[in-house]
Amino acid sequence: MTANYGHRLEFGTLVTPVATSPATPVALARRSEELGYDLVAFRDDPDQPAHLDIWTLLAWVAGRTERIHLAASVRSVPLRSPAVLARSAASLDLLSGGRLELALGVGDAPEAVEAMGGPRLDPHQAVESVGEALDVIRDMLDTDRQDALRYSGAHHRLAGAERGPLPAHHIPFWLDGDDGRLLRLVGTKADGWLATLDRTGPDGLRAGNKIIDEAAREAGRDPAEIRRLVTISGVFADTRRGFLDGPPAAWVEDLLPLVVEDGVGTLVVATDDTGTMERFAREVVPALREAVDRALPAPLPRTVGRSAAVRAKRRPGIAYDEVPASLADTAVEPGDVAYARVRSNYLRGGAPGLVLRPRTPAEVADALAFARAHRHLPLGVRSGGHGISGRSTNDGGIVIDVGALNEIEVLDRATRRVRIGPGARWMDVAAALHPYGWALTSGDYGGVGVGGLATAGGVGWMARKHGLTIDHLRAVEMVLADGTRVRASETENPDLFWAVRGAGANFGVVTAFEFEVDEVGAVGWAQFALDASDPVGLLTRWGAAVEAAPRDLTSAIIMGPPRMGQPRVAQVMAMVDSDDPETVVRQLQPLADVAPGYDQQVVLTSYASVMANATDGPHHGQGEPITRSGFVDHITPDFAEAAARLLASGVVYFFHIRSVGGAVNDVPPGAMAWSHRGANFHVTAFGRHRGRLDALWDELLGTHQRGLYLSFETDPRPERLRDAFPPATLDRLRALKSRYDPDRLFHDNFAITPDTASRTTP
Amino acid sequence: MTDYGHDLLFGTFTTPAAQPVRHAVDLAVLADRAGLDLVTFQDHPYQPRFHDTWTLLSYVAARTERVHLSGNVLNLPLRQPAVLARAAASLDLLSGGRFELGIGAGAFWEAIEAMGGRRLAPGQAITALDEAIRVIREVWAADRPGGVRVDGDFYRVEGAKRGPAPAHHVNVWIGAYKPRMLRLTGRVGDGWLPSLQYLPGGPADLTAMNAQIDEAAAAAGREPARIRRLLNVAGRFAPTGRALLDGPPEQWAEDLAGLALEHGVSAFILATDDPAAIEVFAAEVAPATRELVAEERARTAA
Repeated sequence: MTANYGHRLEFGTLVTPVATSPATPVALARRSEELGYDLVAFRDDPDQPAHLDIWTLLAWVAGRTERIHLAASVRSVPLRSPAVLARSAASLDLLSGGRLELALGVGDAPEAVEAMGGPRLDPHQAVESVGEALDVIRDMLDTDRQDALRYSGAHHRLAGAERGPLPAHHIPFWLDGDDGRLLRLVGTKADGWLATLDRTGPDGLRAGNKIIDEAAREAGRDPAEIRRLVTISGVFADTRRGFLDGPPAAWVEDLLPLVVEDGVGTLVVATDDTGTMERFAREVVPALREAVDRALPAPLPRTVGRSAAVRAKRRPGIAYDEVPASLADTAVEPGDVAYARVRSNYLRGGAPGLVLRPRTPAEVADALAFARAHRHLPLGVRSGGHGISGRSTNDGGIVIDVGALNEIEVLDRATRRVRIGPGARWMDVAAALHPYGWALTSGDYGGVGVGGLATAGGVGWMARKHGLTIDHLRAVEMVLADGTRVRASETENPDLFWAVRGAGANFGVVTAFEFEVDEVGAVGWAQFALDASDPVGLLTRWGAAVEAAPRDLTSAIIMGPPRMGQPRVAQVMAMVDSDDPETVVRQLQPLADVAPGYDQQVVLTSYASVMANATDGPHHGQGEPITRSGFVDHITPDFAEAAARLLASGVVYFFHIRSVGGAVNDVPPGAMAWSHRGANFHVTAFGRHRGRLDALWDELLGTHQRGLYLSFETDPRPERLRDAFPPATLDRLRALKSRYDPDRLFHDNFAITPDTASRTTP
Repeated sequence: MTDYGHDLLFGTFTTPAAQPVRHAVDLAVLADRAGLDLVTFQDHPYQPRFHDTWTLLSYVAARTERVHLSGNVLNLPLRQPAVLARAAASLDLLSGGRFELGIGAGAFWEAIEAMGGRRLAPGQAITALDEAIRVIREVWAADRPGGVRVDGDFYRVEGAKRGPAPAHHVNVWIGAYKPRMLRLTGRVGDGWLPSLQYLPGGPADLTAMNAQIDEAAAAAGREPARIRRLLNVAGRFAPTGRALLDGPPEQWAEDLAGLALEHGVSAFILATDDPAAIEVFAAEVAPATRELVAEERARTAA
């Protein structure tokens, strides 16, 4: 009878953590990695003072290896706080990039645990303690739950511990040993059973599997979810002398039944001999894989499958099992550990059904093919996840996250031509260009991704001096809705290049941008906190000062609603693209003078250091941002009056004006899809209530604005499309939409309806 | 004027933030390359926004070459002393003698209890630390005959096997502020590790606290100068001097030299998460401070 559980066959080494020669286990771990083993394991033994502490060793090895998975079998559970062990496990998993696998066991020397100051436990209690520790560790790492962890066991008690951190991947938890009670625990709650073949024996393995399978079924689990791992030891010899004592072919013969009949999914060679490691890896592993594939009715999978618990969280309407092979390893679905890190974006909570994370343009095409087969679902495209209008997350749909396409490369120093992936963030771009004495004006926040901003506009800290980000764009490479990969520039697909600069989200996924960047040395950077008790006067004077300033200066002002008992303060920021302190101060002075100041900070710094204002952790946005956007030519007293009324209403909690103008307006309005040349300011308001914000904005600011910047607009009413694009631009975009995306695959970010009249077959 | 004559050490005290995952590692590697002597991390195992400090220290040790590493300070109540002793020896062995044991009696007892630790009154916690240090040093003393026996009120070790022995003499640096802790430091510590920001009277408080350590050391028959005085400091670099450790690097050097020569501080550990500050501290402040202190020591010796 064949009893294989269908796991990907894996191989590991079990190395003795000798303290007398600490470099040896580290070298053996590195050799295991070089030889292609899937994991290296260390087992602790509290009775063995000549061994290194395995946790310390494992963390050290994590720092000296790149790929191999790291397994600890902790058999001194009563000496370790399971809550601390949980945090340690998460840390090691994070630091190692998701390479930790953790076994808990009872150990052979309970008296050694007691001698070290641990509790005296009988065998039954020892197993019970391990089971409780496993519960605690699991619960500590379950960050889906917000409540503090309380646990009241016979051996471990927690009185309200905070959960987390979230590990990098699903850390498999195994139990190590062959006690019958322990095996039942494996069946009810562990991800794997780690047995020692020399000790348990083939009969014991069979008996153990039976106990585990029964316990699993009683607990409503599929026994196939539980990986069976055994440590083996043997010697290579020219002729067979016994079990695992002979030539590689004899090893294969001995091991084959373990895999095909006893369902062993991982074979771990216990050896400190590099010769044995090498022969096993080179001569046993490939032959055994072949023998297994011959013996089994179907070959074993190449990737690790998802458990029933993970699959249970899948969303309807998604063909999860048909995710292209190129994307399967990096795809994230709702039951995965990584899901918490990718579900939401900066300002928006989300619950997508599937996040695809392509690493190459070909994989982007694969992702789009998958998306085309799921047209009934929302589709979000995410670079940095900061989009306000761009729904780079959704509920139950697909997200294509191009964060991995984040290369930054200088193509030509003479022409300052750089090539940047859509997943790079602007702070990384600024840092990469800084050593060349270059900069590319981008947004105002370093965490924003390149892709979203560079297909929409890019109103940044040097807008008046150097224009929009898209004004520097010279070419793009992109994948269209039908999967075609194209290049667009002024000479190649010029229509598409025109459309990408301002309406890119409607036309495809850009996989690389080529920019011509500017020479930028040190810059002046100022932050003022100004008295805003007279908001009308303040805004009017600020606007006038900005318009009067040389183009070196670009500024922004942030205001909030009046708060009871607090002075009204506006934040004014400004960058002066000049490395001359006197010029910086001279240009800033009129800004500082627009109102009495509470605080000011002026530094001569680099553009890169101003942009280094974000951290790179995952996003945890919640809800939906509610915003309006508009361009205005001047901050007139009437506009300032209207803005002050908007603020006084309490409907707006964040009011932001940024200067455009200057070089932005040097570009002719029809040069690209972004058409708002001529305005001097861009205004954004964030509110908490859609209807109230829209009503007030329409009434107060609607008459002052001309056009909007789609990156900051969330009003879903269709007329906003006409604010984003003037009639001639919109007509041309609709004609191009019918050419490049007639079936509207890209419909989630200022969707342009194809012009059916001009619909053609490409 | 108290100068215990130790070589000066300079180090970092960086937040062990779990996100971004490699933030603390990157800053430690920077400190190592910049030539600093020490990289230290606070240890608050009840804080899920931080990495586990032990795991982080071990990982960082593997990614660095020269710098010494320490908890600042390790949380004893959540770390079993016999296990900690073996872990510390292991890290010292793996790193080629680069580990030092900064340790404290614990605080935030509610959080410790929430994690399954034992709540102790402050006095009990000091006794427990005393016992733990005995356990740790006994485990390290691999050459002594017999098993480790410490029959304490809080830690009872009954015959545990000794070892492994660390690669070098691992210094036990104690985070201490109150009289009993200061006396414990004088009696058993290799070093004293307070934070300047927790001294209500500022550097002036060091005088009386040093005296308490010195007295306790002398009473235990130890040379007070054996006990290194370390100090966590914070501040900012600014073009013009405004206050202690708020000014240009040259002023920092004078401030630190003053602390060294007047208060016997011989290790300055900068609390910062700013790579630029770490570079300035290593490249400008440390050499200038060393120079000032060396000149003054030469002058008084002459």
